[in-house]
Amino acid sequence: MHKTLVVLSLLAPTAALAQLQELENPGTVSAIQERAYRMQHELNLAVGLLPQDAFYKGLTVKGSYGFHFTDYFAAQGYFTYSYNLPTSLRQQLERDFGVLPTAFDEVQFFFGGDLMWKPLYGKLSVMNRTVIHGEVWLLLGGAGFKFTNTFRPGINIGGGGRWFISQYVSLRLDVTDYIVLPVGGGSTSFTNVLSMTLALALNFGGAE
Amino acid sequence: MRTLLLSALLSAAAFAQGPADPVTGEPGAPKAVGVADGGLLDAVAPAPLSAGGAGASGPSPTPQPKKIDPKLFDEALNDYFGNRPKDAAAKLFEYTENVPSTDENYAWAQFFLARSLIELKLNHAGAVYLARIARERTNPAVLPKALEELQKLTDLPHDEVMIDEQVFGALDLGFLPEEVAGYAHYQQGLVDLRVGNERWATTHFSKLPEGSSEASRARYAMLVTRLKTAKKDIPEKMIEEFGELAKDDKLTADARNDSMLAVARLRYELKDFNGALEAYGQVQLPPLDPGRASLYLEEAWTRYQLGQVHAAMGILTTLDAPSFREEFLPDKYLLKALIYRDLCHYLPAKRAAKELTRKYADSLDAIRERYDLTEDTRLLRAASARGSTKRARRFLESLDLEGEQLGRYAGSFGDRMFGYMSGLYDLARAEALRVYNARLRESVRVEADKLLRAAEQVRLMEYEVGLKLYERVKKGAKLVKLIEEEPLGPHQVAFRFVDEYWNDELRSYRFSLKSRCIEETAR
Repeated sequence: MHKTLVVLSLLAPTAALAQLQELENPGTVSAIQERAYRMQHELNLAVGLLPQDAFYKGLTVKGSYGFHFTDYFAAQGYFTYSYNLPTSLRQQLERDFGVLPTAFDEVQFFFGGDLMWKPLYGKLSVMNRTVIHGEVWLLLGGAGFKFTNTFRPGINIGGGGRWFISQYVSLRLDVTDYIVLPVGGGSTSFTNVLSMTLALALNFGGAE
Repeated sequence: MRTLLLSALLSAAAFAQGPADPVTGEPGAPKAVGVADGGLLDAVAPAPLSAGGAGASGPSPTPQPKKIDPKLFDEALNDYFGNRPKDAAAKLFEYTENVPSTDENYAWAQFFLARSLIELKLNHAGAVYLARIARERTNPAVLPKALEELQKLTDLPHDEVMIDEQVFGALDLGFLPEEVAGYAHYQQGLVDLRVGNERWATTHFSKLPEGSSEASRARYAMLVTRLKTAKKDIPEKMIEEFGELAKDDKLTADARNDSMLAVARLRYELKDFNGALEAYGQVQLPPLDPGRASLYLEEAWTRYQLGQVHAAMGILTTLDAPSFREEFLPDKYLLKALIYRDLCHYLPAKRAAKELTRKYADSLDAIRERYDLTEDTRLLRAASARGSTKRARRFLESLDLEGEQLGRYAGSFGDRMFGYMSGLYDLARAEALRVYNARLRESVRVEADKLLRAAEQVRLMEYEVGLKLYERVKKGAKLVKLIEEEPLGPHQVAFRFVDEYWNDELRSYRFSLKSRCIEETAR
């Protein structure tokens, strides 16, 4: 009881100060602006990397379509093809240890769909000369992977950001981690596939 | 408020005509007189080469012209076209000083001397020579070119009397090429308008080529003049005409904006606040331009009249931005106090009202003590930031800059030319200073009046708020919702303001504050 009184008496001046501040400068100010860029039908052409596997690196080409339900939520579907380059480790294993090329399960292509949540929309001042707009999102989805020897499903989480060049054109960067499930082809463990893409996005609609 | 707005409208409308527009002279403002270019040139006749040889008293004798090699002119032209204006200017000066005005190259020498001086950023000296060509008219072939050059100089701070009045305002227009004649007609019409001769002005303006930029500017000048002379009722047609001008691509962006501002102000006067707000919204600012403080303040008043107090207060936040820190806007505090009062936040209302007297305490003291108001920094800044006083200040500053620039050429020009140019700039500066001071005295009085009126309003407000502050609240009184905040639209985005101003947001601030009015005290 005694302690409570001490704490309350210590807090009282803070509360009084806040009240005084509210009395002297009441209210808040916000800049309310029409959203400069709004998305609706989005077409993407992206290039990217699958950088994670130690035995190969994938160079990817991705095409996707997204529909933005609101300024905060969207869904997208995509197809990605990967052109794989063996690493020196794999070459060494094949050359020096006679490991067969079929032993390396590589991603050949994958496709899927995501839900996007876009909580961040903002602008940046560039050298105090101009203002650029962008948005940042999180995504969650499912995918199907075609490996060299097998076809497996996966789920993915990721995030990305967009820099608006105009109402119709934007650049977007996505980083997604696919957790490929141990289903089919005798696989017994989860596989992680990290994908990074840089896309040129075209937007149709959404100006109204 | 109405008087304030009308005076703002008139002064801004006058200001809106830009630097080349002499209609803007405020009523009663003294007109610059007596810098006839001829007089100036006579007064600064070249000093003798032998500085110490003259007698101690009386003017120095004018040096006798020396014999000049005709090749000097060709050499000077070679220097000019070889991009050596410094060398060209010295040679051309020597040439013009030593050949008679009947020499076939005399006017060309003056012309290229002027061009060289302008390239050396000695615009006023160049203008003096161009004006001399226009006055002497020794070679009809040079005259149109000289006038074209002079016309270009009118876009910069310039001697309005020498160029606008004594050259373009007094030209015989019979023989000029169409483009130059158009500008001269426009200037002569303006001179007529300024002396109140609208009929003569109309005659000049009617000769302007239809669709030319001068024709548009002339229409604007006529409208402003009619607005000034309008007694009570503002004809709707005048608003329409200003509206048309605001869409006229031949006008500069500033002039179009001024026309749109005129529309907004006139609608405000007619209490068509929605129309006024629409017009304010159509004032086009370049991307990321901070804009004009007066535009924001007027828009804030309009929104206040429409009951949009939260938007009005948002605009007042804009006016606290660093870009507007030096602006003289005593009304701002009054409006802020009014808004707080309407939302029944009496302490902040009182504080906002007191802010005016605190911020302008020195200026108010200076007014009460009848000090020289031109010594007061705030009033001085406010007075020299508008209309004809601003133009006079800018011309004076340009002369100072050019005077400094001249010092760099002391060696290249030689004693005689440097002495002549120094004298020319000294005299021009003295006259520009006289004109500036005369205009400043009048403008500073106008600003002081504005401040006094606002201070008086604020005192009334303080009294009223004081009464409200100690008003008893009856038991059971309920809060009333009189003034609703506009909700955030689905396509809008809100950036909470935390003391960081972004230029792209200056017109977008909205204030959020709940009304504390109870039933008995609600407005």
